[in-house]
Amino acid sequence: MFRPAFLCFTLIALLPAAACAQPAERQAAPAARGDLAANVRLFDVPAGSRPHDVAPGPNGLIWYTGQRRGTLGILDPGTGAVREVRLGEGSAPHGVIQGPDGAAWITDGGLNAIVRVDPATDAVRSWPLPAEFADANLNTAVFDRDGVIWFTGQAGIYGRLDPRTSEMRVWRDPEGRGPYGIAATPSGEIYYVSLAGSHLARVDRESGAATIIEPPTAGQGARRVWADSRGNLWVSEWNGGRLSRYTPSTGEWRSWRPEGERPRVYAVYVDDRDIVWATDFGANATLSFDPATERWTRYPASGENAQVRQILGRSGRVYLPESGLDRIMVVRTDAGS
Amino acid sequence: MKTLFAAASLAAVAATAGPSIAQRPDLRGQQIYRRACYSCHALEPGRNTPAGPTLHDIVGRPIAAQPGFNYSPALRRLARRHGRWTRALIDRFVAAPDSFAPGTEMTFLGMSDAQRGVLLDWLQARQRRR
Repeated sequence: MFRPAFLCFTLIALLPAAACAQPAERQAAPAARGDLAANVRLFDVPAGSRPHDVAPGPNGLIWYTGQRRGTLGILDPGTGAVREVRLGEGSAPHGVIQGPDGAAWITDGGLNAIVRVDPATDAVRSWPLPAEFADANLNTAVFDRDGVIWFTGQAGIYGRLDPRTSEMRVWRDPEGRGPYGIAATPSGEIYYVSLAGSHLARVDRESGAATIIEPPTAGQGARRVWADSRGNLWVSEWNGGRLSRYTPSTGEWRSWRPEGERPRVYAVYVDDRDIVWATDFGANATLSFDPATERWTRYPASGENAQVRQILGRSGRVYLPESGLDRIMVVRTDAGS
Repeated sequence: MKTLFAAASLAAVAATAGPSIAQRPDLRGQQIYRRACYSCHALEPGRNTPAGPTLHDIVGRPIAAQPGFNYSPALRRLARRHGRWTRALIDRFVAAPDSFAPGTEMTFLGMSDAQRGVLLDWLQARQRRR
């Protein structure tokens, strides 16, 4: 079902911080728009950034990947100021998460590498994938409880990197192209989904073997996945236009369809209250879903084709990168959602 | 020690690999396809994925007409307006999908002028070879 692991003796690029950091082109004040809900704020990021993914950084800062500018963006929501860290020639970052070391960890499709940005010094360090996995189209990453980062590549791979030893192992998805979102459950299991393959997969963290779990709807285009506090996996179905829940202990699937003629569910995230957040490109909106009441709450985008491709947050805040508009929307959930 | 071994190995591979990708437009085109298109689009006839239709014979092909693929209303509108994919149309679409076909479900952020040229040369060369 999977190919033998490839042990990567990593070639590490350690760049001096002074060479990587650069000031933002502009510092945008928080936007005030009369048509936004009271618990929503908007922040501009440098034009052309196309912020793809977002993550909470230290001290209330917000990180985002500036995919078209090859940068890690650092937004201070207190002032609206943005600072950028250049990730290297050819960079096209996709995902960003905060690691247990407090650093930003980035899946960079342009560099074909896992990239770390030190939050104190802006030093950029990268771990390229082995040569046999060139053009992996790196997508998303997650840390497990042992401090190992697991990642996907849409060209058909998934892998792991232990930052302590720099050991990297990469495997091919049993069904080929498509691995996209990846998540860790509270009990420490790693799951990823495949967009082109339309499946969920559970990864054996010891052997690296991926066990395919087929959702009930064929060709649904599972794009992202997130775990709730009970270990249920929430899956955004792009083609299927539904939000689905898989319960590993029973194997049960349930799904819900947002309103609208042609929903296209892209991102999914579960906040610390077990409220599920999803974006619907068909409606150009973000939706929160309460599994207890099965009710949806709608957050319209701040403009046409906002294209929120990922969602992440911290207690009391949900971050929505509007990649099509070069803005980041922040929803306060402690003010009611 | 491991890093030194890796560096030496990579240098040896590079020294024996012949012309670089930059010097081989065919390899460069394939690389761009692998990086930007492969994840969603196959090249084999009839092989759509849930994320995108095949690119087989794309230049000159009717727009939004691959059997079995569920095209967006935006692409169907484009088909009514233009009929077939010409090289120029593909170039404009891939440059900025959202601007050229607002509402498209191809969630791709676009590609530079130079990359599009190489990619289209490569796709057309593949069509001519068959």
